Amino acid sequence: MNLVLWTLAVPLVTAAVGALGGARPFKEVTMVGGLALTFVLCLATAGQFLGGRPPAAFADALRVDGLSALVLVLCGFVGLLSGTYGAGYLRRNEARGVVTPRMRREFYGLIPAYVFAMLLVSMSNNLGIMWIAVELTTLASVFLISFHDRDTSLEAAWKFLVLGSLGLAFALLGTVLLFASGQGSLGEGMSGLHWTRFMQVAPELHPFTLRLGVVFALIGYGTKAGLAPMHTWKPDAYREAPSPAVVLMAVGMVNGALYCVLRIHLISKASLGPGFSEGLLLTLGLLSVLIAMPFVLIQWNIKRLLAYSSIEHVGIMAIGVGLGAEAAVFGALLHMTYHSLAKPLAFFSAGTIAQLHSSSNFDRIGHGTFSRTPVASALLVLATLMITGSPPFGLFFSELMILGAGFAGAHPAATAVFLAALVVLFCGFAYQVGQIVLGPPRDPADRRVPQPERFDLGMVTTIGVAAVAVVSTFYLPAPLMALIRAATQVVWGGG
Amino acid sequence: MTAYVLILSAAGMLVSAFLMVGQKALFTTIRLYGAQSLLLGVVATTMAISESRQELFVTAALTVVLKTFLIPWFLMRTVDRIGIHREIEPFLNVPTSLLICLGLTVVGYRVSSGFEGGTQQVSHHVIGVALSLLLIGLFLMVTRKKAITQILALLTVENAVFLVAIGVTSGMPLIVEFGIAFDVILAVLVLGILVQRLVGRFESMDVSRLSKLKG
Repeated sequence: MNLVLWTLAVPLVTAAVGALGGARPFKEVTMVGGLALTFVLCLATAGQFLGGRPPAAFADALRVDGLSALVLVLCGFVGLLSGTYGAGYLRRNEARGVVTPRMRREFYGLIPAYVFAMLLVSMSNNLGIMWIAVELTTLASVFLISFHDRDTSLEAAWKFLVLGSLGLAFALLGTVLLFASGQGSLGEGMSGLHWTRFMQVAPELHPFTLRLGVVFALIGYGTKAGLAPMHTWKPDAYREAPSPAVVLMAVGMVNGALYCVLRIHLISKASLGPGFSEGLLLTLGLLSVLIAMPFVLIQWNIKRLLAYSSIEHVGIMAIGVGLGAEAAVFGALLHMTYHSLAKPLAFFSAGTIAQLHSSSNFDRIGHGTFSRTPVASALLVLATLMITGSPPFGLFFSELMILGAGFAGAHPAATAVFLAALVVLFCGFAYQVGQIVLGPPRDPADRRVPQPERFDLGMVTTIGVAAVAVVSTFYLPAPLMALIRAATQVVWGGG
Repeated sequence: MTAYVLILSAAGMLVSAFLMVGQKALFTTIRLYGAQSLLLGVVATTMAISESRQELFVTAALTVVLKTFLIPWFLMRTVDRIGIHREIEPFLNVPTSLLICLGLTVVGYRVSSGFEGGTQQVSHHVIGVALSLLLIGLFLMVTRKKAITQILALLTVENAVFLVAIGVTSGMPLIVEFGIAFDVILAVLVLGILVQRLVGRFESMDVSRLSKLKG
């Protein structure tokens, strides 16, 4: 059978088995095993692409090119991480007796289901399928956000669902308008919505309808990616969802939504010329980076802090594509890769600290966590260095590449603003994380004693991803590098 | 003949949206949404007959079954269970809201003339109504406080998108259409469950109370 179908079938079956129930060890083994197998299949699919036989299924409705293969591998990797850390996360909560049967069902069912939807997004060559898959990720994440059933988690889930659905309605309208712009040239039936078909007939698309469609689709998928000003659901959702689910959203959904944004951008570029959608992406990207600044400085919650980091990084990737230079596009895709390694580390270490202190609010965690949870705190510092783009870590190089291409290209002023924002954000994160990790506890009498750190499954996963992230700084495997190049080829060369 | 049916049904959808803006009883608002979806079904059927586009029969059938019967029934059951039947005072009063929606309709019609064939008699109205409906749906969404009304606003936006699809394309591919219908059902179910959880927790479905998360 086709590799593409296997890659989708395995997480789907895992989700079904997880939702049905059973003993805990069985569920843990199914989820982690299923997601590990999924990751292997993602690698195999990417391998088949690199071998020169692009995998496809359903009459090219699903098709893997360079961009798909890169996003697929990153999503598969994050899915495995999330499953492994997630099993450990739920064990910790089981030990405290705060897990209900509903939570178990939702957790073991929805995490693989989410992975399935992400992989479907990253392989879709059909704008209709792409929309359906993104909608599935949205629906899967609602119950993960309201997982803890607190007042605030219901609020976050509601805001997320309303804003997300609205964004998706816009994306659907955009898709319809894109389809309308090619009436007569795209042809009837399923293949009329194929991205490859759009690229073939790009010069014949009706400009007014296309322009309107591109704007709606970029706003719609931009909402899912968390580009400002449609980012407001992100801090709420990231605070409330359990850390393993947040990682799926912060890396998987971000990559998947950017994948959609890039596909739309490429259609626009092929038909209307580069200026139109590049200008939009550059503006939205800069706005995201700038909007993150004040909120990082006044932040009161560690997971919300990381949510603003996520908004910043989506912005950086959008800027990289929007600058309109090949080196910047390469930088943006390299950034996506390194971000997918560093962000899980950040959420896992912060999540562990939060879980052991029973809260993610700064005032409940207090100062000087280094003395109470040394390993998680050290990993959080490492993660902070990575996500703020400090040398020698990977994100430093990708940001440097985008900045270099920006100053050499047509938008030096925008690049200067971007650089200034990066510096402020670095200081903001250093200040906030320093406050948590360093110093003596402010009021020893008042402080709640956290649970002790243990080398459980969650901690092992965190250390594992830290090792991978550090090694990747100095050594990216040749096939991964080839994937990034192939993806650049797609985004810059249009296929 | 078909032109009159099309224009009348499209106009009827616009009227139903205006009535939704002026309405406070939740049951009536849900019924208005049902009527609006029925008219969307009529538009699709008329197009299917007049332009002999078979796929549009499926669109029409899906629309009527799901959006005229299933979704309104589910929403009414939710309202019944919750026992809250009226919208509280919206952020804007009714006369102001109606005036703003009038302006939005003008904007919708203005934009529609940019489309290919957008100034021809029938499709001008269909696209114009669709864009106006979209804007009114967005307006409802930001001015209403009840969770159920926000769902209905979202569904109105979704109806508008379908009307655009019928008006400016030769119909979306069938598989995509089914996929979208499936997703819409799921979304309404999820929204319904969430509303029940919200009411169970806050003893109200006033979403303006959801204001703890800031910064």
